[in-house]
Amino acid sequence: MGQVTLRGIGKRYGSTEVIRGIDLEVQDGEFMVFVGPSGCGKSTTLRMIAGLESITAGELLIDGKVVNTLHPAARGTAMVFQSYALYPHMTVAENMGFALRMAGIGAAERARQVGRAAEILRITELLARFPRELSGGQRQRVAIGRAIVRKPSVFLFDEPLSNLDAALRVDMRIELTRLHADLGTTMIYVTHDQVEAMTMGDRIAIFHEGRLAQVGAPLDLYHRPANTFVAGFLGAPRINLIDCPSAHHALWQQWLQCQADRPSAGRAAPSRLGVRPEHLQVVPVGSGVPATVVMAEHLGDCSILHVQVAGIAGLFNLKSVRDSGTFAAGTLIGIAADAASVLAFDADGRRLA
Amino acid sequence: MRQTAAALLQALARRDLAAASRILTDVLPVRLSPATVPYVLISPFVLLFLVFSLFPLVFSLYLAFHVWEPTDGLAAMTYVGIDNFRFALGDDWFWKSLGNTVWMALASGVPQHLVAIPLACFLNSGLGRGRDLAVGVFFLPYITSTVAIAILFSSLFSTDYGLINLALAHLHGIPLLGTLLPAQPVDWMGRPENIKPAISLIVFWRYLGFNVVLYLAALQTIPGDLYEAARMDGAGWFRQFWFITLPSLRPMLFFAVTLSVIGGLQLFEEPFILTGGKGGSDQAGMSTAIYLYRTAFDFNDFGAASAMSWLLFFLVAGLTYATNRAFRPRAGSQ
Repeated sequence: MGQVTLRGIGKRYGSTEVIRGIDLEVQDGEFMVFVGPSGCGKSTTLRMIAGLESITAGELLIDGKVVNTLHPAARGTAMVFQSYALYPHMTVAENMGFALRMAGIGAAERARQVGRAAEILRITELLARFPRELSGGQRQRVAIGRAIVRKPSVFLFDEPLSNLDAALRVDMRIELTRLHADLGTTMIYVTHDQVEAMTMGDRIAIFHEGRLAQVGAPLDLYHRPANTFVAGFLGAPRINLIDCPSAHHALWQQWLQCQADRPSAGRAAPSRLGVRPEHLQVVPVGSGVPATVVMAEHLGDCSILHVQVAGIAGLFNLKSVRDSGTFAAGTLIGIAADAASVLAFDADGRRLA
Repeated sequence: MRQTAAALLQALARRDLAAASRILTDVLPVRLSPATVPYVLISPFVLLFLVFSLFPLVFSLYLAFHVWEPTDGLAAMTYVGIDNFRFALGDDWFWKSLGNTVWMALASGVPQHLVAIPLACFLNSGLGRGRDLAVGVFFLPYITSTVAIAILFSSLFSTDYGLINLALAHLHGIPLLGTLLPAQPVDWMGRPENIKPAISLIVFWRYLGFNVVLYLAALQTIPGDLYEAARMDGAGWFRQFWFITLPSLRPMLFFAVTLSVIGGLQLFEEPFILTGGKGGSDQAGMSTAIYLYRTAFDFNDFGAASAMSWLLFFLVAGLTYATNRAFRPRAGSQ
């Protein structure tokens, strides 16, 4: 079992309120990702679940039992730290068996359980080594192994991959996803990396300024963001947003038209419109809204064009799969949004439809 | 002059020895080739080292195998082989001084570390802003002149007027506790059985702050998330101290204990001043360093004193090696 319930969880340091009432239900066996920009409260929330930070408001329940003041070791959670936090003077086996030793489990049983966890993570040959003799990826495995050995009902990961290089990060991402599938244990995973969030999570909880901006399945959040913050946070390059211009503008009109094509389009007049870069197309000059290429980034499989539209401050991003390589700075093009792809937001940033 | 020095430093910073040699040739009476410049520049240190460090070292080894009457000049040396060592090893006072030294080194050294580590942990976690002030207070005795400390403690330990005996007299009036304490004023510096404890207390007090600073520095390098991981693993404060703090302090423990071993075995100033340079009644406060000083300058036997100093050196070296074996970190963990 490993159901985690947050009811109005809050945290304040003196007069500073950093978590402002989080309500969230993490189902047993779910892979939940907490994501958000720096300082949004995702790590603090995780540490409150772990018991490393006190909870100043609300209730935290694990498997239906209030655990607000329960000792970290008694909550049935295990944490993997960003820095790995391996004990430098203990071997890998001693590191992994430390919690069992603290629980008074005998050496033989410890060795058996550590050995089994090491097999799962394929680090059996590392058991006699010390942390400083391991590479970053190996240390990460040991840290995960230390968590597995405790047989927790909830795994807590605090940005576990951010100290690894890019290639290793991709490998570990896949490995962690597989580990979740094998163990079937609830995992709560904090990251600031939206690729990790999108690829690993059953559901994503997006944090913004100490509150939950939106909770949902990754693609739901991508296609149906609750507000401009979520729309802007997910997706790279960022979504293109324009405010309702005071004067009549061709681009606004074009996007408004596309937005009206959405089957779910509401009645209210939007005050902001957004189009993701992959839904903006290059069209022959004259047929779309005229724009000037300011910079073109050719990535091989696609090109990212940064274009300027006369009368609107800021640049627009286009992700173009075709015609890559033919656009240079200064080229005049036309741009047009895909039908039914435009998101509309009200004055407070909430999505209209 | 200052401009010349600045120009010289700049030339050296560029590793331009040719320019440095031109600048030096202008101010020195001799011409220097670029290749000799480095040697000229390090010569002040080398000369001082040769005269005040290396020469005494070699000369004392030479002396250890000779009998010498210094007032008759260098010609009055007679080679005696290992007689000086044989004399030292057969000398009751030498063994007594070694016993005193080890006694005081243990009695002042062991508590230093047993108190300094918990104290450093407390200062590290418990005090917040007052920490720097507290560290400064503990460190103060270390930078105070030994003579001043000795005078202060002579007054504190005074039999008739000392604060320590005054306090004991007051405590004696308390029921139960009072019966454990002496009824008469204690003759701290006069009676042989009291001298070593009194000196050890002073040495302990003097070097405690130094050790606290060492351990505090080491404590501040232990990552906080190790303690968080240990908390998640179910370790309470004592087991966090035992399994995280102490092993993490091990390199510093090795360093600090080594300093205590070396310093304790070379103990000289405190007992020398407190016992008037003689070692106290029944030589109870005579450390080996005091005895070999007396052998040389009171008894005029420089050869035997040199032999003793080399014997003391071998003891220090041996114990430092033993300390290394006992406290060095596990292979691979550092």
